[in-house]
Amino acid sequence: MNREIIMKPESLQLAAQQLRDAATSGDFIAPLRERFEGLDIEAAYAIQQHNTEARLAAGHRIVGRKIGLTSRVVQAQLGVDQPDYGALFDDMGYGNGEPIPWARLQQPKVEAEVAFVLGQDLAMVNPTQVDVLRAIDHAVAALEVVGSRIADWNIGIIDTIADNASSGVYVLGSTPRRLEDLDLDLCGMVMERRGEPVSVGVGRACLGNPLNAVVWLARKMAKLGQPLKAGDLVLSGALGPMVPVQPGDVIEARINGLGSVQAVFQLSANDEVSA
Amino acid sequence: MSTIQQHALRLDEAARSATAVEQLDPESRMSLEEAYAIQMASIQQRLRRGEARVGMKMGFTSRAKMSQMGIDDVIWGRLTSGMRIEENSTISLASYVHPRVEPELAFLLGRDLPEQVTSAEALTAIEAIAPALEIIDSRYRDFKFSLPDVIADNASSTGFVVGNWGDPRIDYTNLGLAMSFNGQTRHVGSTAAILGNPIRSLVAAARLAAQAGEPLRAGDIVLAGGATAAEWLEPGQYVRLEMQQLGSLGFHVEE
Repeated sequence: MNREIIMKPESLQLAAQQLRDAATSGDFIAPLRERFEGLDIEAAYAIQQHNTEARLAAGHRIVGRKIGLTSRVVQAQLGVDQPDYGALFDDMGYGNGEPIPWARLQQPKVEAEVAFVLGQDLAMVNPTQVDVLRAIDHAVAALEVVGSRIADWNIGIIDTIADNASSGVYVLGSTPRRLEDLDLDLCGMVMERRGEPVSVGVGRACLGNPLNAVVWLARKMAKLGQPLKAGDLVLSGALGPMVPVQPGDVIEARINGLGSVQAVFQLSANDEVSA
Repeated sequence: MSTIQQHALRLDEAARSATAVEQLDPESRMSLEEAYAIQMASIQQRLRRGEARVGMKMGFTSRAKMSQMGIDDVIWGRLTSGMRIEENSTISLASYVHPRVEPELAFLLGRDLPEQVTSAEALTAIEAIAPALEIIDSRYRDFKFSLPDVIADNASSTGFVVGNWGDPRIDYTNLGLAMSFNGQTRHVGSTAAILGNPIRSLVAAARLAAQAGEPLRAGDIVLAGGATAAEWLEPGQYVRLEMQQLGSLGFHVEE
């Protein structure tokens, strides 16, 4: 196998380029962790950062962050003890029930989450639970359509971090709620396809509480000098197992106290969006 | 003595002495009617000893479990007074073969239910709802059974603990829940896992109980079905279930 030295800037760039190409071509790539020697978590975030900058240079803007690997089960599967994060861009959001073009997606799977919208910056040193509680303006139900540019989702933590935390697109519900109206610990979640439950879960499944995930992210971003800001959207992490989706699927998730959210997947890449 | 009666006595004795037995019907040759007849005859033994019937439990209340067992309906078992376990009490593993526990939603009926009920009628018959933990303990060696086996064995039902009875007018179709062991959360889920909506389980319970000639009555408890996978019980555990809006309950496990 042709191994490269990852610490070289050109190797980081090469890996970033391969991920970008896979996203556009649909030819998904072998795991980075098997092909780039010395690729560690820091280097993986550097690869992610390359592609973030490429998107910014293409005229997009960051509208928030997603948190991944928030389930103890998934962490155990990947042999890690920490979550990860990725960037959310302005063109990744779809409205409740708005058809999602299949061509936008790469090996899509869907998971239900609590999304938070911040009303204040979290720019202080080491934000606390109190800072986070005060900064959150409202919560809303969300379906995140994750994707992977790595063939067959054969990912380790390195691969998913480099690949923008396996982000894809997301759909937000349309009934925002204030935190005082919610039980973020025990809120039940059910995701249905044609009325059949395909995933169930609860708030606690996300790092013990979705707020814990936001505190983790806020600290991480503050430390990196890219603090979370008022208006930012945070997808806090799955409340139950993720489920693969097919063209034509309609997936509805309900989070108790937060209402429902529906993701509609177009039948095929050539489908016209019906008015 | 009929084969049904022999099987019934064997299972009753296995449960009473907490000893595993061989499967009755590993090839699944028995009809479900025969299997339920064995269950009824086996429970009869308990009633003769002075226990009372207090309700029923529903099993295989998810599509995944039904297809795994090759059936397209739920199964059910009978709850007797001897199966009640006080909340926060201590159970002894010596009383069981190889027990597991799973979280449930319990219905308390305020009214009799006939065979054919709509979900609206079922709703109005509910006096109260509560979080509950069911102890399931197959009497078969290695917890291995065919569909007729498990039905004959009272759908593995063995004991149940019920928490505080709460208001049935809340929306309980998607209550989050967490089952923990010594404070460590091991299984999480939602009441939505019970047939997509627990009321469907109560409607099925009314139908199956009436068909068996033992219609549901006011005062009966119905355990609607397991909301997560079951977990093995071990000595030293404190098992706790927390359910959204309905509170929590628990029990202790010793040798």
